[in-house]
Amino acid sequence: MEGFIEIRPRRRFFLRLYLHIMLRVLGRAIQAAARVDEDVKKEFNAMPENYTFSLGAFPAGPCMIIGKDTQGIVRYMGSDMEKQPVHLKITLKSVRHFFSLLTFTESTPVSNARNRMIVSGDVPYACAAVRIMDIVQVYLLPRWMAKMAIKRYPRWTFKRHTVDRAKVLIRTLLGF
Amino acid sequence: MYIPDYYEFGCPVNIVAGHDSLEKTADILAVPGSSQPMLLTDKGVRQAGLADIVLDAVKDRLDIKCVEDGVPPDSDLKVVRQLAQLYNQKGCDSIIAVGGGSVLDTAKGINMLVSEKTDDLMQFTGAGALKRKLRPLIAVPTTAGTGSEVTIAAVIADHEKNRKMIFGSHFLLPDAALIDSRMTLTLPAHIRAATAMDAMAHAVEACVMLSKNPLSDAHAKEAIRRIMKHLLPLIAEPENKEGRLSLALAAALAGIAFSNSLVGMVHALGHSVGSVCHVPHGNCMAILLSYGLEYNFHKTEERIADILFSLAGPEIYAKTPKSQPAQKSIDCIRKLNRDLFQATKGLHATCLKDLKDREQHPMVPKEKLPEIAQTALGDGMVFYNPEDVDYEDWLMVLEAAWEGVPLDRTKVRKG
Ligand SMILES: [Fe+2]
Repeated sequence: MEGFIEIRPRRRFFLRLYLHIMLRVLGRAIQAAARVDEDVKKEFNAMPENYTFSLGAFPAGPCMIIGKDTQGIVRYMGSDMEKQPVHLKITLKSVRHFFSLLTFTESTPVSNARNRMIVSGDVPYACAAVRIMDIVQVYLLPRWMAKMAIKRYPRWTFKRHTVDRAKVLIRTLLGF
Repeated sequence: MYIPDYYEFGCPVNIVAGHDSLEKTADILAVPGSSQPMLLTDKGVRQAGLADIVLDAVKDRLDIKCVEDGVPPDSDLKVVRQLAQLYNQKGCDSIIAVGGGSVLDTAKGINMLVSEKTDDLMQFTGAGALKRKLRPLIAVPTTAGTGSEVTIAAVIADHEKNRKMIFGSHFLLPDAALIDSRMTLTLPAHIRAATAMDAMAHAVEACVMLSKNPLSDAHAKEAIRRIMKHLLPLIAEPENKEGRLSLALAAALAGIAFSNSLVGMVHALGHSVGSVCHVPHGNCMAILLSYGLEYNFHKTEERIADILFSLAGPEIYAKTPKSQPAQKSIDCIRKLNRDLFQATKGLHATCLKDLKDREQHPMVPKEKLPEIAQTALGDGMVFYNPEDVDYEDWLMVLEAAWEGVPLDRTKVRKG
């Protein structure tokens, strides 16, 4: 096989690095919000014990897993899909689409409307997961950025915008 | 004019429409090599003699293994499982589904089970869970409404959990849709009205919601035009077979449109009213459609205005002042509902509190509204709705639709 050139998929190192970092931040922020925010708490309470969901890219792109452990405590569970069963998977069809989503150049609703996502699992919990991520994005992002990511910027109390946000950000940073 | 940066459109269903299209059934099944279908229908369709018309049309060329009319109006997981067992026992190799939305969706459910050789339907819920082609399925719609004959979706109830499961996959598309004017001759007036309003909701939501695209628009607008033209005359004169064929085609067009651009909050809420209070889907759509438009008005005014031409025709369109076409579109839909109420002698309800069951009991008691709102929070169709909808929003819309008063648009929360 003289002259055979093996074509390797480009690794797109920085793109993947960005996704890894963003997913870790998002995962830890969801864990934090589940401790601080009443609405997020309520959404998780409605999920069964040991329920897990993931956000990732097809086929084996970066991902993150969130779930309730046996005591019902919400935890960011890293990215190893083999380690635990994942009940609800939200998968972007390619790493590039995932990048658009997590750089907020394409909002979640638009990304979904353009058929970039595959949702497998219980639809009601998928709705809950999206609501949770919407709230967490409002905590994490400045207003103008969050507005690009979600449909409607919520009218929160002053405390939720300041004190609760500070709590979520600190917990996200420290990872507890 | 709105052109999205990216969109997808497809309709691989072979559509055969006419006054004698059923005679093509055997030819269509011969392509994948099937000749031993199960004929699936419901009691009403069978009593109306429609199953016999189909049997007559195919009996010389197909070996019908079983005729099963046990699909209830609100079919669920259990029924699907039982019928799938029957399919296997009788050695069928395909399905001819003759009926309305419930029969067609049940057939899709059965087809998932028998093709994947399992009895657990839940693993296929959501979007895109199926991975390969299913066995042959032919859809023969007997209502002009659901468009299930051309859609990638199937909605099957889970009565234990009081919830409607939604399945979405390109593999759920039937191999062929046979649209035959004989199938809608005996449809009772109020069912014709309600199912046509379901088609209307598909077309209008396809034009307004997030996944709208130019190709689905073209189908949807033609569907709207045909429904406006033929529905009311057909209620008075169902013998008009051109009208019937045209309306059945409108349902298919609307089905193609919404299969490619999906629907939004009207369907999310309609599914919830349906599963909590067991209201037929078409009735929910007729009542809720105008409210979905009002709720999304601030984000979609231009899109709502854009369908006025199809809804009202050129004269009214030309006469409508430039500032009001969107409101006029909503008014047109409400007027059509009122006209249908008249034409069906009050059987076509225009608000939730007027919905009555056979014993004349109200179907949607006001105490149920919170439960409906809660259920709607778990419906995936809201992903495609332009504006976000939370529990209070659902309740606000429900209360207005219950009373039958227009939504106070100033109360809709905008980001
Ligand atoms: Fe519908």
